[in-house]
Amino acid sequence: MSTVPEIHRFTSIRPPKVTFIGATAIAALGLIVGSWVFVLGADRVQSQPFFSVETLERGGRFLQALLGIGSSSTPAFAQWAAWQDTARLAYQTLAMSVLAIGIAALIALATFMFGASNIMRGELAPYRSWVWGSGFFVVRAFYTFTRAIPELVWAMLIIFMFAPGLLPGALALGIHNAGVLGKLSSEVVEGLDTRPLLALRSSGAGRFQVLAYGVLPQALPRFITYLFYRWELIIRTTIVVGFVAAGGLGLEFRLSMSYFHYTTVTLLLIWYLVLVVAVDLIAAVLRRMAR
Amino acid sequence: MSLASLESSRTEAAQAVSLSGLSKAYGPIEALAPLSLTVAAGETVAILGPSGSGKTTLLLLLSGQLGPSSGAVTLVGREIAQLSPGKELAQLVGMIHQQFDLVPNISALHNVLAGRLGEWGLFKSLVSLVWPQDRPMGMEALARVGVADRAELRAGRLSGGEQQRVAIARLLLQDPAIVLADEPVASLDQARAGEVIRLLVRIARDSGKTLISSMHSVELARAHFDRLIGLRNGIVQFDLPSSQVADDMLLALYDIKGLRRED
Ligand SMILES: Nc1ncnc2c1ncn2[C@@H]1O[C@H](COP(=O)(O)OP(=O)(O)O)[C@@H](O)[C@H]1O
Ligand SMILES: [Mg+2]
Repeated sequence: MSTVPEIHRFTSIRPPKVTFIGATAIAALGLIVGSWVFVLGADRVQSQPFFSVETLERGGRFLQALLGIGSSSTPAFAQWAAWQDTARLAYQTLAMSVLAIGIAALIALATFMFGASNIMRGELAPYRSWVWGSGFFVVRAFYTFTRAIPELVWAMLIIFMFAPGLLPGALALGIHNAGVLGKLSSEVVEGLDTRPLLALRSSGAGRFQVLAYGVLPQALPRFITYLFYRWELIIRTTIVVGFVAAGGLGLEFRLSMSYFHYTTVTLLLIWYLVLVVAVDLIAAVLRRMAR
Repeated sequence: MSLASLESSRTEAAQAVSLSGLSKAYGPIEALAPLSLTVAAGETVAILGPSGSGKTTLLLLLSGQLGPSSGAVTLVGREIAQLSPGKELAQLVGMIHQQFDLVPNISALHNVLAGRLGEWGLFKSLVSLVWPQDRPMGMEALARVGVADRAELRAGRLSGGEQQRVAIARLLLQDPAIVLADEPVASLDQARAGEVIRLLVRIARDSGKTLISSMHSVELARAHFDRLIGLRNGIVQFDLPSSQVADDMLLALYDIKGLRRED
């Protein structure tokens, strides 16, 4: 690079150049200001203002109830028996999440290569046939469908077929995440460097051998990264799926809220914290091993 | 030009490559003007020329990865258009690029063994990803290119020079009659570049293979190859034994004036 344009940049007056990052920052600022204007402005329309002494008082009272302040009985999170009872639920929740990510991984792993346009329709396609090419749309439509329906809705639908329990909960989480994982992984394949793949091809590898030696090894590390990331999300989502009688900590959470057992709610939240941190740690260890 | 006499002095069978009226245009750009030449089996040929002169285009035509606009490529007596891509073509011709030939996430050994994929069925190739098949063969090739100690490392972890050596080792297993290389050492430092070119040429000579390589380094090309072909704007400027290529020919070849703009 010559230094001339450098000098030019500081001495001449040019219209400010809007970069992508700059535009993003302006848009973000606009959204923040706009949404607060909306929220505060809505005070006049709503019966309940956003900021008021009442909401603050109510919030304070709920917080006290969660902490067991002002109640005569021992809070649940200070009772050893309560911990023992809920430990079983935490274990069930963990089991549900493992089952769910297993289901998602299996479905995504079996299909993601067929959801990549370069493999189905592009330069890496084993067949140039119409049937093979349309397989891409079938797989992508499946991903969109499973991904578009939220976990909670999947759970509500599946409960109709199965008795309430961990399995339908895991199925609901698994199906939704299969779509997410599949789409992400297909896009990894679409973004792969094709040079090593074409080199494999020209050194005599058949088209399926190229998939096994070039595509899979390059896509798998990213797939595993996504897998652990989704597992962390699934652990948190079990609470939502649990609401519709799918069991585990989620169901207990809803019941405790309905029965005003607020200190149990606190205990369950602590369990969630423990689970999320544990999954985080396990995922970190496994990720390092996979690398 | 003594092309006609050269051609007649060689027998049909000893010809590794024969081009007749081969040309290539990308839309309005004529990347390669009609070209006829032959390369004898076992010959080592370097293609020289400034960037954009058509070296890569010529090599891609020779490897069958690109179809010509006119003319034909004949490899060891068989016309390339008649060969099925994949295994059949891979037995005749193999290619090394400047970079990025290897799959970065699998070991050097697996990359080398991939040279056997044309021989293996799909099942054996899948098994080999877990239990490497024909391992002694792969290790021997790695030893020949001097990186046996890197066998278990992922290819992406290797240095540029080591990666090119592994790519050469894969060619050893693929075992084509003709080896093509497109500026195989352009991404390496001078010392490494010399080593790898020496290795490539020695292996080609030892196993009687025909080697055609484009080169960005005139010195290396002159020192190690039998024959030099100078390309400029898609037109052959000279095609001579290395010893007969004079300095002024090379100066004219790379002269900026009259060079087709490339962008
Ligand atoms: N895929 C392509 N599409 C259009 N033009 C191309 C393409 N590949 C090469 N060219 C053009 O053809 C000419 C020869 O290119 P190339 O064979 O890559 O030369 P070299 O390898 O000697 O640098 C150049 O002018 C280049 O711009
Ligand atoms: Mg080139």
